[in-house]
This record gives sequence, C-alpha cells and structure tokens, in this order.
Amino acid sequence: MVSTGTQTEVVMPQMGVSVSEGTVTKWLKQVGEPIGRDEPLLEISTDKVDTEVPSPAEGVVAQILVAEGETVEVGTVLAVIAPAGSVVSEPADEPEPEAASEPEPAQPEPAPEPEPLAAAAQPAPVATEPPPPAANETPAGAPEAPAPSGNGKTFISPVVARIAAEHGVDPAAVPGTGTGGRVTKKDILSYLQSPAPAAAPPPATAEPAVAPAAPEPAVAPVAPEPEPEPVAAEPAPVAAAAPPVVPVPTRAAPSPPPVPAAPAPVSVPAAAEQPAVLVPGEMFEPMTAMRRGIAEHMRRSLDTSAHVTSAIEVDMSRVVALRRKLKPEFEANHGVNVTYLAFIARGVVETLKDYPWINGEIRGEQIVTRGYVNLGFAVELADGKGLIVPVLRNAETLNLLGIAKGVADIAQRARDKKLLPDEVQGGTFTITNPGGYGTFHGTPVISQPQAAILGTYAVVKRPWVVQDEMGQDVIAIRPMMNLTLTYDHRLVDGALAGRFLRDLRERLETWDEAVY
Amino acid sequence: MTYIQAISDALRLEMRRDPRVFLLGEDVGVYGGAFKVSLGFQEEFGPWRVIDTPLSETAIVGGATGAALMGLRPVAEMQFADFISCAWDHLVTVAAKQFFRGQTPIPIVVRLPSGGGFSGGPFHSQNPESSFAHIPGLKIVCPATPHDAKGLLAASIEDPNPVLFFEHKHLYRRIKGEVPEDRYTVPFGYANVHRPGDDATIVTWGAMVHTATEAAGELAKEGFEAEVLDLRTLIPWDEERVLEGVQRCSKVLVLHEDTRTGGFGAEIAATIAEEAFEHLDAPVMRVAAPDMPVPFSPPLEKAFIPQVEDVVTALRQLAAY
Amino acid sequence: MAVREAEPVGSLQEVKEAGLDREDLLAIYRHMLMTRAIEERGHILYKQGKIPGSFYTGRGNEGTAVGIGTAMGPNDVGTPLQRDLGVHITRGLEPWRIFAQYMGREDGPTRGRDGNVHMAAPELGLHPMVSHLPAMLPVATGMALAFKIRGDRRVAVGWFGEGAAARGDAHESMNMAGVRQLPIVYVCDNNQWAYSTPTYLSYPVEHIADRAAAYGFEGVVVDGTDVLAVYREARRAIEKAREGGGPTLLECVTLRMEGHAVHDDAFYVPKEMFEQWAAHDPIERYRSWLQDHAGMNDDEESDITAAVKRILSEALDRADQSPMPDPASLAASVFASPEDLDTPHHK
Repeated sequence: MVSTGTQTEVVMPQMGVSVSEGTVTKWLKQVGEPIGRDEPLLEISTDKVDTEVPSPAEGVVAQILVAEGETVEVGTVLAVIAPAGSVVSEPADEPEPEAASEPEPAQPEPAPEPEPLAAAAQPAPVATEPPPPAANETPAGAPEAPAPSGNGKTFISPVVARIAAEHGVDPAAVPGTGTGGRVTKKDILSYLQSPAPAAAPPPATAEPAVAPAAPEPAVAPVAPEPEPEPVAAEPAPVAAAAPPVVPVPTRAAPSPPPVPAAPAPVSVPAAAEQPAVLVPGEMFEPMTAMRRGIAEHMRRSLDTSAHVTSAIEVDMSRVVALRRKLKPEFEANHGVNVTYLAFIARGVVETLKDYPWINGEIRGEQIVTRGYVNLGFAVELADGKGLIVPVLRNAETLNLLGIAKGVADIAQRARDKKLLPDEVQGGTFTITNPGGYGTFHGTPVISQPQAAILGTYAVVKRPWVVQDEMGQDVIAIRPMMNLTLTYDHRLVDGALAGRFLRDLRERLETWDEAVY
Repeated sequence: MTYIQAISDALRLEMRRDPRVFLLGEDVGVYGGAFKVSLGFQEEFGPWRVIDTPLSETAIVGGATGAALMGLRPVAEMQFADFISCAWDHLVTVAAKQFFRGQTPIPIVVRLPSGGGFSGGPFHSQNPESSFAHIPGLKIVCPATPHDAKGLLAASIEDPNPVLFFEHKHLYRRIKGEVPEDRYTVPFGYANVHRPGDDATIVTWGAMVHTATEAAGELAKEGFEAEVLDLRTLIPWDEERVLEGVQRCSKVLVLHEDTRTGGFGAEIAATIAEEAFEHLDAPVMRVAAPDMPVPFSPPLEKAFIPQVEDVVTALRQLAAY
Repeated sequence: MAVREAEPVGSLQEVKEAGLDREDLLAIYRHMLMTRAIEERGHILYKQGKIPGSFYTGRGNEGTAVGIGTAMGPNDVGTPLQRDLGVHITRGLEPWRIFAQYMGREDGPTRGRDGNVHMAAPELGLHPMVSHLPAMLPVATGMALAFKIRGDRRVAVGWFGEGAAARGDAHESMNMAGVRQLPIVYVCDNNQWAYSTPTYLSYPVEHIADRAAAYGFEGVVVDGTDVLAVYREARRAIEKAREGGGPTLLECVTLRMEGHAVHDDAFYVPKEMFEQWAAHDPIERYRSWLQDHAGMNDDEESDITAAVKRILSEALDRADQSPMPDPASLAASVFASPEDLDTPHHK
C-alpha cells in the first residue's frame, strides 16, 4: 500500500498463496466518513475465506474505487484514506478499479528470479555461425546438396567455418577427409599450413588428390585498397600485391561436386598437368593455398559466366567538391574518412534499385532478384597475401555516412582478420578498384554467383568539353574517372548494362546532397 | 594402496586429527561397515565416534545435520548409494537449504557406495548423482582413483557444506594406485587429465574413467589420441578445463555410468553447446547407460553398463566424423 | 510405561518449588501477551497486504510455547514450529525482527530467504522450521546426539504436531533417541486439528504420548492451556534428560483457535469446540491465576499491558524501516565458505 505523504491507499490483500483475486462484498464506511486506524473498512470474499479489511490509516475515506460485488486482482487499490480534516469531493466513477501493480509485500515470492545472477548462458564469443551452406545458397545449377557425392561435403562445422572466416579461405576449396567428404578441422588446418602439393609430386598421373574441389565463388577483382585518391593517380595506400584474384571466402559453395579425383574441369592449373621438370635457369616456387584457391576461382568464374565489359567516363567534379566539403565534418564528428568509393558505392546502391537483374543471379533455370543489396568490396591483404572480399550487408539501408563507416570498418577488420563468417558471404554485387595504380581500364572477373562487378579507376584530370553559361562549347579541366561494368551476358544484355552505367554517371555528376 | 584402503586411510587420519569427526551408519561399528571401510575403527575410536544406527536413513542423515549444527563433523554412511532415496527428503529439504535461509552451515559428509558391475541388481547398483546435482546447496564428489579418493574425502570433511561422496564400489578393490602417506586434500572443481590427447576429449568420472582410458588406448593404435578428463567433482565441475579441451580437440565425448536422460552429462553437453559452439567439429556425443533400472543377470548388466567396446565405437564415430 | 496425565498447578508455593519466583511469573505473563499481540497485529498486517505469502498463528498455544520456552535452559536448543512463536519471544528474539521476517525484510532472521515463522536465532539456540513437517525432528535428535557424544549437559527440544506425527521422520527420530537414550524432549503440539483433519483421522490411539512406550521412554499428557502445568512437566522432562535419564514425549493438548492459516476460516471445526476451549484461553486462565495466587493487581497488569503495547508499536515502526532485500545478494547465499563455520552456535 502506498502512502503518498498524506493519503493512504487500501489494497486488496492476498488471502493465501494461491489466491489471485478477491471480491468486495460490503463497504462498512462511505466516502466522507471518518475511519480509525485498524478499524474495519470493508468486507471481502476470496476463494479461501471471507474476512474484513482493517484500515491502514486514520482519517477520512476520500475515495472508494471498487464497488460492492466487483472482483479485482490482489493488489488493486480499493480506496484512498485522506488525513482527518481533508475536504473530500464526490465519489467519482466508482467502478474503476485501478489496476495498480501489486505492491511488493503482496508478492508471494520474496525474491525475484535471480536472473542477473544465474549463469546466463553466454553465447559463444563472436556471433553467428554460418548455417550449413547447402541449405541456403544454391548457385548456378546445382541443387543444394551435391547429389553425387553425398551431403557431407557441403556441411561446414562451426569450427571449420570460423577458421575459414579468419583466414579468408573458402572451405569448399579444401579437400575434405571427413564423413561424406566433409572438411574437418584437421583438413582446413593442414590446408592452411601446406605449400602447394601439386608442384611437388613428380608422377605424371597428375592426380593431385589435392585438387581443391572447389567452387565457385571466386571473386575476381583485384586491386588494392578501394580508395582511389583524388586526382592524380596515386597508387592507393597498401600496395603490394598485385593483381588478380582473390579467393572468395564466401560461404559455401554449394554445389561443387566434391571432388578430388579426376573430374572437374579446372584442376589446379598447369602445375598439375605438367611434369615438374626444371630447365636450367628456372626455379620452383610453391603455390600457397590462397593462390591455388584464386586460380581455381578465376577459371571457374570465366567458365560459368559470359563475361562482357562496358565502360563509361564520369565527370567527378561534383563529387570532388562535395568530398572536400564533407571530409572535415565526417572526420571530426564521425571519425571516418569519406572516400570516392563511398560515393560510388552509394550511387551504385541507388542505381541498382532500378536494375534488379544486375543485382541478381542465375540459379538453375531461374533468375533470382532481391530487395536488398549486399555489397562486396575487394580488399587487398597486407604483404601481398591476397585479396578478400568482405560484404557490407543491406547496403540499401545506409546513407553516405553509413556506407563510409561500413566500408571503413569491414576493410579494417578484413585486414585484421576479424571478419565474421556472415561478412564474407552472401554478396549480391561487388565493387573493385583496379585503378589504384593509375590504370584507366580493366575487365575484372565476376564473383560467382553474382551477375556483375563494377571496376573503378584512377581519377585523372583531363581536358573536357563542357558548355559555358551561354551554351557554347569550351574546354575545361575536369577530374575524370572511368567506370567499367563487367557483366554476365547470359542475364544482362549490353543495353541494360549501358543504361545502368548511364544512370550511375548521372547520379555521380549531379549528386544531390539532400537525397544521398 | 587400493581405492577402498585410501578411503579408510582418509577417514582414519581425519578422525585422529579432529575429535569432532565421527561416523554413523548401519553396521559401521562392530561389523566395520558393509564393505569394511571402517574395519577396526570402533576399536580405535570407541562406540560414540563410530555409531551403529538403526535402519533409519532419515534419522542418520538428519541426525548428522543436527550434530553438525552443534559443531561436530559427522560422516554418515549409506550402506548402498541407492538407499539415499530414503533420506532424499531430508537432504533436499533441510540440509541443502539450511545455509541459504538460516545462514547456518551444515558441514556433513554422506558416503555413498555407488555403481554396478557385479550383479547387484536394481537396488544396489545405481549412480544417483544427477538428481542431487540439480538441487542447489549440495556438493557432489566422485573420485576415480585411490589418490583422489583420499584427498577428496579429506576435503569433503573440511567443506562447510553438505557433501555427497560417491565411492564407486566396483573400484574398491580393483583399482590400486600411489597414495601419499600424509594427509592432503584435493580441491573441488578441478578436473584431472587421466590420459592426454588432442584429437578428442572424453569428459567422465567414477569408474568410467578407467573404461574410457582403456578405450582411448585402443583408438591410439589407430592414430587417434583421445584425452580422458576425469572431472572428480560434479558440483562444482571444472567447466573451464572442459571448455579448453573442447577448444583444443573440437570433438567431445561425454561418458557416464548413470542413465542417459537427465544424467549429468546432459548438463555438460548443454554447456559445451552454449559456450564452445564455434569450436566444435562434431556433435557432442554422449555414452551412458540406457534409461532403465539396472538389470541383474550378467549379460543384461553388461549390455546396460557402458563397456570399453561401446566407448571405442563412439570414439571411432567421432574420429571419422 | 503408561502415559501419565499431568495435574494442574495449584499454589504459588508449588510453583516456587518448580523454580519460578514472582518476577518469573510476571515475565511469563508478559511473554504470553506479547506473543498474542504480535500475532494479532500480524493478522492485520496480512490483511493490509504488508505480509506476503501466508500467515500462521498459534492462538491458543501461548501457554505451551511460553511454558516450554521458560523451562529450557540457557544453553539448550530447540526446533519450534509455527504455533510456537511464544518460544522465540521467551528466549529473547526481538519483536521487531519478527515483524521484519513476516514482511520479508532484510533484517529478518532469514533476510527474506524464507517466510513467516520459518525463522529462528541460532544464537538463542533456536533453529528454523521446515514446511515438510516434522523434518526438523531428526535434526533435533542429531543435536542431542552431539551432546551425548561430547558429554555436554545440554538438552535438545524437538517439536511436532499431532498431524505430523504420522510421518516416518517422527518414528525414526524417537526410535533412535530411545535406543541411544539421547538428551531430548519431544513436544507434541496437539491442537486437535491438522488443517482440516481431526485427530481421529490422524492417529488411531487415544494419545500420541501412548507411542512413547514403543520407543522405550515416558509419555506425558498435559493440558496445554495451563502454562504452569506445562512449565512444570517440561522442566521435569528437560532436567531428566540433562541428568542422563533419556527422552520424554510431552503431549500438550490445546485447541487451535484459528484456522490453519489466516486464509482458512476453519469452518470444519464444530462451533461448540471453539466455545468450549475459548473458556480455557491460556492467557485468561493465567491472568486469573496470577490475580488469585500471586497477587497481581490492576496497576501491575496495566503496566505490563502498556509495556507490551509500546514495545509492539516501536517494533512495528522499526521493522517497517528495514529495507527489502537486494536480489544481488542472492548469488552468495547458496554455499557456505569456511569463514561461515566460525559462528557462536557452531559450538
């Protein structure tokens, strides 16, 4: 019961542990009448017993809130006692029992559930585990579990998924010795440690049991940091490493036929097929696991998609100006460096809304489109170890600032090997930056099972024909950037690609700060 | 010395050094205990420190509680662990909850000859640890070696809480080991690596520790090294060390002689799934007795109690997964 | 050994022989008044929603409780039940802590971990009851066992009701005590109703005390509403145990004057029974006896009544100040650590 300084509430008591309600049977006093402390104020009836309720305070009955005959829950305020001498107004609406929360004392449980104390299970550090690949993604063609060789190959256990994510390895590229060809922890650990087996064995049979079976998702693109510096093609920070390929740590690969042995097109290139014989002047160098994976993926991707590339030139003046304006504010208030890539990514995400097939996928005989964009960014790893393509999920929900932060975050974590399994799979479109070293054109390889990949190139100051205020042609110096869209012509025709690039250019050249 | 000698030794040392320690139970005095754990004790300590009680489990354990409240350190013996059910009410209702509600500790030890393997039948062979493990306020101890039996009994007597000390009677005379002469204690909540290995971790206790070790030896011939982790105490149990084993090996087998459903292995398996999911390379496997009373006839009992072959089979499955 | 039915107490002289002087007699009266007053106040608090759970009283049992509490020696121990609040009062448990216990506050003897009369004070030799009656009887027996082992000249008193007498715990306890001649007095609070179960449905013999013979010791039946008779018999039994004479089963007969708990209106008890036993109200009886045999006058009486009232009111206020317990303290409450063993009662 509550005593608010002057007034005291009278509540329905709990007459017995299992009793949850009571009925007011008779009011012994009416509003306005005086009442003494402990004097019986009303009579109640419960499942167990009928009894009277003594007043908790001395004073005058100020309000009666529950009428005779009404049944209310234990703890409900029945009446209010005001100090003697108070002026009492007319009883208002009686039948309005306030559903007061039960006062503490009425609780039968003396102690609340010690939730904070109980050893609440802590979820394993790092979050989600990748669901068994096969279940979700069935990229081109293959039905979920590779029928031929049993399901085992497609099941990635939690520990294998975690190790794979940490090292940017596609588990599907690892030979599996577990049940049904499953990749075991031992398998992936030895895969990470071993030099290329293919090179080693002399025997001609060339059956490197090793051949990573592989699959697919390979993301091709290249390039170092997706951070084209303004103007002057300066090589992006991070250098090293070169070009090609990146093993795609995307999850599962669904399909890829298991394995080892013969079949499969694409076995490890060359090395396996040629006898390992050196001519004087030559040296052997083992292929790392990552290199082998990259080789595999590139080959497979080119074999799967009909790669065609279209290019467009974009006047980046507006973006340059905007970036100069926003950079200090973003750095100071949000701690993030906004790059050209952020602008392009934002523009891409907006434009993809109108071109679902470019964000789509061929799966079997069907075309898959989505309402979301999971944007992959090619990130070069330090020391030339290779490339990784972290994915920024649901990029369509982010504005410019959001994308800038998201990209910075996953790029950093990619370099620090702190990506979560979810962040290296499920991409729907990829952006890569082959132009980090000053090149102005390229034809990246599509990251399977996606339909296209955007290449960005150096921003270079060029003389450009523009219209002056009188509508006449003049030459201006403009920061120009080429963009290429490499697309799978099975799904995307040249006209569609062209329109996409046109719209993207339009956005970048007429960037509306208010909108983006 | 043997496992049973280690237990007698621990008791004797405690009774010599602390006059508050006394034994009570059926046939513990004149007869020396049904298994002869207290043989010679009444002669040494007298009839008021080795007390032959009536056949009254509640009075024995409840009496121990009362004596403990008055400052003594009783060690009550149930003739067979199975009979603890007669004192279940007292243990669960009074002993387990006394400190919580009255802040008066109950430093009692209840010794429980548990386990089967010798045609004891349904009422002389059980391992009733899990129902008590579920009741907050009781500690559960299950040594597997003579060394641990001695040290853990001393620690149990020292502990200010009710301790259920499960001595596996099938180990009494079958297991021998090096045991220091002096008094020492083994702390609760620390598992012991009975056999090292990195390919899988077998979490177990009691007589199954020896079964697991033999099975691991078989697998070692096939190039698979399983570690045998002897929990030694269930409440508290060495969660940290178990999880470390899971992280290192990524394959786990939980093994106990008690029946499967609701056995303490379920708690361990659930904890592993919660805390070490991303380290698992295979499902957490459990090997336990089937859900039935312990059968009497030898072939039936053999099919009931997890045998070395059963553990070997499970380990092979784990290895191949 | 036949059951002996105790005689009522007569004169002041007789009482002096039993070891009580006038101060003691007035103290007994005060304790009985306090017991009743606390329980009556508890009723009100319960109906005002200030006491959670259920609320049990021992109305009608004040004589038994205070009589036995007075007869226990300063170092004796006991396990009183829900009708025996008088034992706690007599042994010195402060009323404000009793209210704090009822209301589930931090300063109650169990710090909110247990409710209503499940409280005690080990430093006063009293250990808290458990709902599974008579679960504390084997414990009381164990306490007596400890005294016997050590040769302490202390006695344990274990309580049980006539309903709980049906459980095995009672049998095992008394049997073991009889075998070992332990220094214990078993008190049966026979208030004739176990919730709604009358005595003839609880036991088939005439007196619970009849069973004592089966355990090898004496059984005594006494009018529980006669506090002095109870005191005399309890004293006898306790000292006998102290001298090594073994256990006694003391059956104190009263009528439970209220329901099993406050939520029970005891409709099943015949009205005549209430009327008949109301005439034997222990406090009224004793008051009259004090007036007649100990010369208690109106002033003395009103002083005592006023003192009880004042203490009660202060106790209520003080208990109300006590905070509700903090859930964060729960984690550390399940297992004891070695430091917890070094408490006075553990001696």
